[in-house]
Amino acid sequence: MSEPIIEITDLSKFYGKARGIEHIDLRINEGEIFGFIGPNGAGKSTTIRILMNMIFPTSGSASIMGMDVIMETKKIKKLVGYIPSDANAYSSMDVNEFLSYCIRFYEVQDGEKRISELTEMFELDRNRKITDLSLGNRKKVSIVQSLLHRPRLLILDEPTTGLDPLMQSVFFELIRLENKNGMTIFFSSHILGEVQMLCKRVAIIKEGKIIQLEDIDNLRKKQLKKVTVEFPDKVSSESFKIPGFEELIYAPGNLVTFMYSGNINELIAFLAGRKIINLMIEEPLLDEIFLHYYQN
Amino acid sequence: MNMILFLKEIRRNAASLIIWTVVITLLIGLTMSFYGTFMQNQSKIAGMLTIIPKGALQFKGVSNFNDLLSVLGFYSSNNVIYMMVLGSIFSIVLSSNILLKEEYDKTAEYLFTRPITRSEIFLSKLAVVFINVFLLNFFTALAGFICIEVVKKQPFSIRAFLILSVYTLLLNILFGAAGLFLSTIVKRAKPITTICIGLVLIFYFIGSLSKITEAAARIGYISPFRFADVNAIDPSYSLNIWNLVYFVGLSFLLTWFSYRIYKRKDIYT
Repeated sequence: MSEPIIEITDLSKFYGKARGIEHIDLRINEGEIFGFIGPNGAGKSTTIRILMNMIFPTSGSASIMGMDVIMETKKIKKLVGYIPSDANAYSSMDVNEFLSYCIRFYEVQDGEKRISELTEMFELDRNRKITDLSLGNRKKVSIVQSLLHRPRLLILDEPTTGLDPLMQSVFFELIRLENKNGMTIFFSSHILGEVQMLCKRVAIIKEGKIIQLEDIDNLRKKQLKKVTVEFPDKVSSESFKIPGFEELIYAPGNLVTFMYSGNINELIAFLAGRKIINLMIEEPLLDEIFLHYYQN
Repeated sequence: MNMILFLKEIRRNAASLIIWTVVITLLIGLTMSFYGTFMQNQSKIAGMLTIIPKGALQFKGVSNFNDLLSVLGFYSSNNVIYMMVLGSIFSIVLSSNILLKEEYDKTAEYLFTRPITRSEIFLSKLAVVFINVFLLNFFTALAGFICIEVVKKQPFSIRAFLILSVYTLLLNILFGAAGLFLSTIVKRAKPITTICIGLVLIFYFIGSLSKITEAAARIGYISPFRFADVNAIDPSYSLNIWNLVYFVGLSFLLTWFSYRIYKRKDIYT
């Protein structure tokens, strides 16, 4: 088994009496794209901030590449890139100044070339003031700064917030490429879809505790859809007893919302035999998945 | 210390330093420009001062009218509010923001993820505070010296002027250390500028109040202004060793505690 690049042992953090995270154990192997998923307030950012030595754990320990995150933080940060969830940068600087400032902290031989390469890839205007940039463009700056020194480990905290779909796909492509070149990715998000698309393994965190750690393929097998059907008349939920029907969520009158995990073609065939006004098939919210799998 | 961070902070604070230096210099220049008129009308002014309560004059640092006739006495009693109070406000605002700003501006997430230790961050920012406070004091004292040279009617003691300038610098450094300390003990990332300015003004008020009566003298010892002797025309005026120990010791202690707290502080954004 390969040496873990991140090793978290019995890690807890309390803010006074308030829970941050509780007894987290996690091992992430070198070369993985690892998903860390949970709703807002679950403890994702707390875990990441401990890894980045911004906050101190109440108990437990964490190491990156075998080095303690508190004692050897400087050595670690030479090898780690980080994209924060909030993309604020020094507002008085322009993009070029900010990136040049960031890269000076590392020993990068072809720094100027690297900045050009990445800013071109994300179509960033290097002369614009950071304060004048849209949220999406500030996010791009944040992505670029994290990759300047070609880190061995990249930690992403909600990296796609504010990015348009086109830039999201450029970003995901870059992540896959960097991963192929050996970079390990620790991907924190509350969007199940993007985690499923990128990651091989995933840890689900809820109320400060890791409740599930599994391969993404297993999670896919359990893939749920949230289906809402509007009928012209009042219907009984009893009439939805079809294979794959998991759980009725809501049925006020002629509107029925339920979780479905079966074959989507079978569902369409089933509905084709009925008169319907509207049909909506969507990704369930994480909270709904949690409720479905872990509370029931 | 980290030179990359140090130079960035120097650049970031340069405009503020220039504005404060220019404003204080202009205020000193304006005040000192009245010295000639003051000397020409000293009998009228002396008459006016007799109707002002003694306590009110002492509150302003004037123990008797003759103090004002000396150019150094005029300078110290009229400019102390600019150099000591405004200088202290500059110091405490700068120092209370320099670490905390990274948190409430949410830039700490970039700074703390660079290969740099907390000690390096602290020392780089401390050096920026010290250099800014020193430069403000140097240029305003230089401006004061030039003004005195221009308006003086008789020689003055350069030694006394230098001691007064050293007291001003020590006071400003102490408030700089206090600002740093306050910024490390606040739990949540939000500016504390108003509290810091209020603190300087309260201490100035207490220090001035303590000069009025013997009864109020004791309360003055809680104010750093009480230890910054401005009586520059007193023949025995010197840099009191205990005052020096007070300023250096307290500044060092506040800085040391700030450093220890910052090393273990949770950084929120």
